[in-house]
Amino acid sequence: MSSAISVRRLTKDFHVGLRGVKLRAVDDLSLEVPRGQVYGLLGPNGCGKSTTLKVVLGLVSATSGEVSLLGEPYASPGARRRIGFLPEAPYFHKFLSGRELVRYCARLSGVVPSDLGSAVEKALALASMTTAADRPVGTYSKGMLQRIGFAQAVVHDPELVILDEPTAGVDPIGSAAIGDMIRAMRDKGKTIVLCSHLLGQVEQVCDRVAIMDRGKLVLEGRVEDVLARRDRHVLTVEALTPAARAAAEAALQSHGAVLTSVTHPRRSLEDLFRELVTGSRDA
Amino acid sequence: MRRHLRWIAPAVLLLAAGTCAEISWRAVRPAIPEIGRKELEPTLGQGVLLGVLGGLRTVIADLTWIRSYVLWERKDRPGCETLMRAACALDPHSRYFWENSAYAIGFDMAHWDIRRRGGYDKVPAETQRRLFHAYARKGIALLEDGMGHAKVTTPLLLTAAQLAELKLQDHPLAIAYYRRAAEAPDGPWFAARICAQVMWEAGRQEEAYRWFRDYWTERMRGREDGFPDDLQRLRTMEEALRITPGRRIERQAWER
Amino acid sequence: MNASFRRIDWIARITFLEAVRQRFFAFLLVLGVAMVLSSVSFRVFDFGHGELKFIADFGFGGMFFFGSVLAVVMTAQLFFSEIDNKTALTLLAKPLSRWEFLFGKFAGAWAMLGVFVFVLAGLLGLVLWSRETELLALAEQTGRIPATFSLSGLAWYALLQWLRLGVVIAVVLSISALARTFLFAVVVGSLAVVAGQLQWIAQDAVLKPTDSPLYEAFLWLTTRLLPNLQQFNLGDALVLGSAGVPAGATGEVVLSGLLYVAAYLALGAVVFRRREI
Repeated sequence: MSSAISVRRLTKDFHVGLRGVKLRAVDDLSLEVPRGQVYGLLGPNGCGKSTTLKVVLGLVSATSGEVSLLGEPYASPGARRRIGFLPEAPYFHKFLSGRELVRYCARLSGVVPSDLGSAVEKALALASMTTAADRPVGTYSKGMLQRIGFAQAVVHDPELVILDEPTAGVDPIGSAAIGDMIRAMRDKGKTIVLCSHLLGQVEQVCDRVAIMDRGKLVLEGRVEDVLARRDRHVLTVEALTPAARAAAEAALQSHGAVLTSVTHPRRSLEDLFRELVTGSRDA
Repeated sequence: MRRHLRWIAPAVLLLAAGTCAEISWRAVRPAIPEIGRKELEPTLGQGVLLGVLGGLRTVIADLTWIRSYVLWERKDRPGCETLMRAACALDPHSRYFWENSAYAIGFDMAHWDIRRRGGYDKVPAETQRRLFHAYARKGIALLEDGMGHAKVTTPLLLTAAQLAELKLQDHPLAIAYYRRAAEAPDGPWFAARICAQVMWEAGRQEEAYRWFRDYWTERMRGREDGFPDDLQRLRTMEEALRITPGRRIERQAWER
Repeated sequence: MNASFRRIDWIARITFLEAVRQRFFAFLLVLGVAMVLSSVSFRVFDFGHGELKFIADFGFGGMFFFGSVLAVVMTAQLFFSEIDNKTALTLLAKPLSRWEFLFGKFAGAWAMLGVFVFVLAGLLGLVLWSRETELLALAEQTGRIPATFSLSGLAWYALLQWLRLGVVIAVVLSISALARTFLFAVVVGSLAVVAGQLQWIAQDAVLKPTDSPLYEAFLWLTTRLLPNLQQFNLGDALVLGSAGVPAGATGEVVLSGLLYVAAYLALGAVVFRRREI
């Protein structure tokens, strides 16, 4: 089976100013996004992540290189029917209610009228937006906007979901909710491409990651493989006394191993926050 | 190559639209007489452009007319004439603008011109006569233009007749205009009387009597009170022409 | 094709809803309505054109002037709000072609102007009818020829104005597809409307013989590139019967208007296809 996304030697130049000075946003990029996985596309601002996604979606034309999407040439309507996309900092027509918005997007995505009602309700439920679905989009918080954006992206049950910075500006509770939605989609066998610079979240939900810098791919692989340091180990010990520590150090030395540091393990601030704050006010 | 092929559809459609518009324009052009008139060119910078573009033409014509009155008070001949002609062009269906512009040009402007040249004492009589004739002709030409557009033309014929009679002293022309005015369906009663009078004074007495008699018989006798004053005028003509009693208009029951 | 039509329909619906909810639309509609109604009180200002003509002219002016402003500003605004707010990113990532997006925008904006034109035309018809009734009664007393207007002529005139505004929308959309900023689209769109209203000067010149083939070619090209918007201004002739319009001529005007709409939309679609969102 072909990859969900296949990018081969993609280059994208922008011409800026009256003199048409060339600005290279993506430079000879090649990558394959396998099906059924959560794929993280990482990199600092301006590294070419969003431009790559826009080329993939046919919103921007490539200067050179090839892109295929679910086995079809990029940007073909057939391919786009099988994709869901949540852009960065999404903005929707404020006068529509959440339900109307998802319904509108469902119609544009080709959902047939007989399936419309159930598809909309399913997407709203997946995004935990059922209770707020009748409020105008203009009254939504940032987290709710991201969640209704997620609902509109998945309402037509796409094979591939592309999320551009889905948690930007969202509080940890909302961020965790979006993480849960991503995992739920993966469990259904969907492919998810997550473009973000929030490394913690990517680490938590992604199966594979690619890191871009200045338009180039600098690292790509499975998350465990790229993060693991095979020459270092972590032991977690309870009730460690100075005597026990000295004995352990001596035992390790006798096997040729060296204890390099002893520290207290820390939980992440996000874990602490989630422990203290039971739920988002948006829900 | 494929990229360039995409431009063919809009190009062909534009060509078709342009050709179709040329045909439709030929058909509807006469129905929009307000535009394309040379009279508007000098005034385009004075708010008249909006009227030329479309809509509000009547309102702009009114404003132009009001402004022309200010210049009429100041006896500014070129300015007044330009604005009056612009008002006529903006609303060519209005009798009012044509009629009053012709009055101003034909009757007033020759006097202004004579004053500008130094007054009646300084300007030679021949020049004065030439000026009166020139402005009267301009007025009549304007009225002729207006008759092609205005809905109601009889008052324009009467104004032209007055200019021809009083300023040009061209009696055949004045008679022709009075006659057309009198014979128009909405011709006023006095037009026929004046027409007959001018004909009479021009030495065409026989013709004046015959025409006025026919006119009175067909259009006046049966209306209102039968127009006794006009019958009286016809009796005077019969006397002057020594028409035998048998060939005169038969005596009316109500006649004194 | 059916699926395309449905997508265009949805874009049009949302565009229409967005347009009619804007205060700018309501403001110009209220101004237009006030203009038609005020014509009754300004009757004393009239110099013998005939009251009905004076009243009709106010209505024609409102439809022409405020309609043109709405067509230029609202169309550019509806297009650039999608681009600037990045809602276009969400929509165009769906199986929605760019030409469908553009056609949907056109249909939505045109529907909004349909509401504007037909509300004003309906109101104008009402004012003209009520005054005509009074004038007919007056004419009966005085024995004068009464002034009348044609209701079917007014309906035709409203249709032609709507079509003219459709051409303006299509022109502004094709400019917007190329323009980078809202301001550029509004300024160039307004100039295009003025040029379109004055296109007949070139059209009249084309119909006259000329010695210069170069000048003739220039005029020919001008008349093909710019739409003739003046041909739709048949208000006096159709509503007040000031001049006869030959049989079939109105149909020819409608056909050329529809062809202009198709041509400028096709042009906009080709330009928009290459635009980077």
